[in-house]
Amino acid sequence: MSAKLIMKQVTKTYGDGAATMSVLNKLNLEVKGGEFVAVLGPSGSGKSTFLSIAGALLTPTSGEVAIDGESLKDKSKGELTRLRLEKIGFMFQSAQLLPYLKVEEQLHYVAKLAKLDAKESRERASYLLKRLGIWERRDHYPEKLSGGEKQRVAIARAWMNKPAILFADEPTASLDYKRGREVVSMIADEVKQEGKAAVMVTHDERMLEWCDRVLRLQDGVLIDM
Amino acid sequence: MFLALREMRHAKARYMLILVIMLLVSFLVLFVTGLAKGLANANISAVENMPAGYFAVQEDAGHIFRRSMLGEQELKVARSVAGEEGATPLSLQMSTITADAGAAGDKGLKADVTFFAVDMNGLLAPSGVKGERITNETKGQVIADEKLERLGVKIGSFITDQSTGKSFQIAGFVKNSSFSHTPVVYMNPQDWLEFRQGTAGGQGAAASFNVIALHITAEQAAELSGKLNHAEVITRQQAVSSIPGYSEEQGSLMMMIVFLFVIAAFVLAVFFYVITIQKTSQFGILKAMGTKMSYLGWSVVGQVMILSAGSLAVSLLLVLGMNMALPASMPFRLEPLTIVGTSLLFIGMSLLGSLVSVIRVAKVDALEAIGRANA
Ligand SMILES: Nc1ncnc2c1ncn2[C@@H]1O[C@H](COP(=O)(O)OP(=O)(O)O)[C@@H](O)[C@H]1O
Ligand SMILES: [Mg+2]
Repeated sequence: MSAKLIMKQVTKTYGDGAATMSVLNKLNLEVKGGEFVAVLGPSGSGKSTFLSIAGALLTPTSGEVAIDGESLKDKSKGELTRLRLEKIGFMFQSAQLLPYLKVEEQLHYVAKLAKLDAKESRERASYLLKRLGIWERRDHYPEKLSGGEKQRVAIARAWMNKPAILFADEPTASLDYKRGREVVSMIADEVKQEGKAAVMVTHDERMLEWCDRVLRLQDGVLIDM
Repeated sequence: MFLALREMRHAKARYMLILVIMLLVSFLVLFVTGLAKGLANANISAVENMPAGYFAVQEDAGHIFRRSMLGEQELKVARSVAGEEGATPLSLQMSTITADAGAAGDKGLKADVTFFAVDMNGLLAPSGVKGERITNETKGQVIADEKLERLGVKIGSFITDQSTGKSFQIAGFVKNSSFSHTPVVYMNPQDWLEFRQGTAGGQGAAASFNVIALHITAEQAAELSGKLNHAEVITRQQAVSSIPGYSEEQGSLMMMIVFLFVIAAFVLAVFFYVITIQKTSQFGILKAMGTKMSYLGWSVVGQVMILSAGSLAVSLLLVLGMNMALPASMPFRLEPLTIVGTSLLFIGMSLLGSLVSVIRVAKVDALEAIGRANA
């Protein structure tokens, strides 16, 4: 299968002049379809920076990033926005659902942005919500959901537009151990089902059971474990 | 609008509150505007409704009709430019009249009026008369503003000028003919001469009058200005704003209206700015997920449009309903054109108020989404 994410010699330095700090230092990574990769690292090791660059939210100081075969180099802000919409699914810490949209609407919103037609959008939403076991909660606002349920909605939302790759930023941070494991196993399920790729950053080593590959972010590069 | 509408649906109370404030402000805007127009109408409608765009007044009269005095000489010059039809003299006199007891109840009536002497075949002849028209040949008959009718004077009854004791019979009434807040009474030049002989001076013999009304173009006005020695040509608007009290009255009402517009813009600006700041991280998430900046900007604008248009619609109904309930003597006037203009301005000011928030939304970085624990 083709590579869903390629990062070549990616370097990111913060600050300028005398006080520069290299957070990423010639980092390389390739993630293939059907692969679920976990990136571990203590706080401050650069996980968020890594994910922001891979997710087309931040431009690296040097190096190249390609998503689903499309290079991010020389892309305008608008083109990056479109690319995120079509090719990338995001999961954030603590779900980050929109408080004023019902569960089903959270999914319809991204479908609308991607200009999916209404019927397709309804079918896809019900398919995902049923698979993730929150179909009964489709008419609820996020405030009525538990943390685990919210994160499941976030998974559904991330997969809604059939992205090439999913990036998850500490998706288990706000959940207890049991719920956290559940969420990670669901991400893994989706990766296998849809033949897509996923990269999850986390500092919790207990969540790695379903990952195909575990990498450690250290001194600005990724090391196999 | 997907987000804008659902957000309003979810936070009904919050948006209802701001809607009510906007409703009160827009109601007040429309009401004061109507009042200003109504007062202007009650004040100087006789001049506003003249088909003359320009007036020739005496040079040192300070644009004030009553102070101006012109003669045949100037009329001849004016007619050489404007043509026979395009220039017509106007004489006026403020006065106090009494009406017969029979006409206006047992006690009789005393009222301030302004007599206008005009050529009944000319530019300024009263139009849309209810009752009998008068001509340059009729004797002792006048046409009066409807306000006198509302005070109880009837067609066929007599009014008497208090200082000269001269009496005139009311032949008919016209709408919207006020001058300096008094009803206008029109008479023909012949009656005027007789009338003036009775008043102080009585120098009516050498035909003189206050101003010349001109139906001319801007170029003709400029030409005429050059030709007149002791008179100047002013626009109708200049003439109107020089009527004593008019500018002060309209000025203070105008200030209130301007303040209301500014208040509306600020209330919306503050409201939307505060919720926009509250939602900063939400906007970050939305952008990270691939929402275009313009989409979010239009969401804010859409909400502002809904609020201001909604509040305007309701307050328009209220104002129009109230207008029907108001007595006819209340100076209140809202014409469709004024309503449209005021509404557009109100919505425009609201949008201006939302601008800060739109800029704020534009500045939020999608990067905010990553590495944040709290929504
Ligand atoms: N915008 C920035 N400017 C300067 N330094 C930054 C910026 N963002 C992150 N850093 C620094 O880069 C390092 C890595 O941060 P981050 O990627 O957030 O790590 P993690 O997510 O693993 O905690 C930290 O030392 C942090 O202080
Ligand atoms: Mg982090």
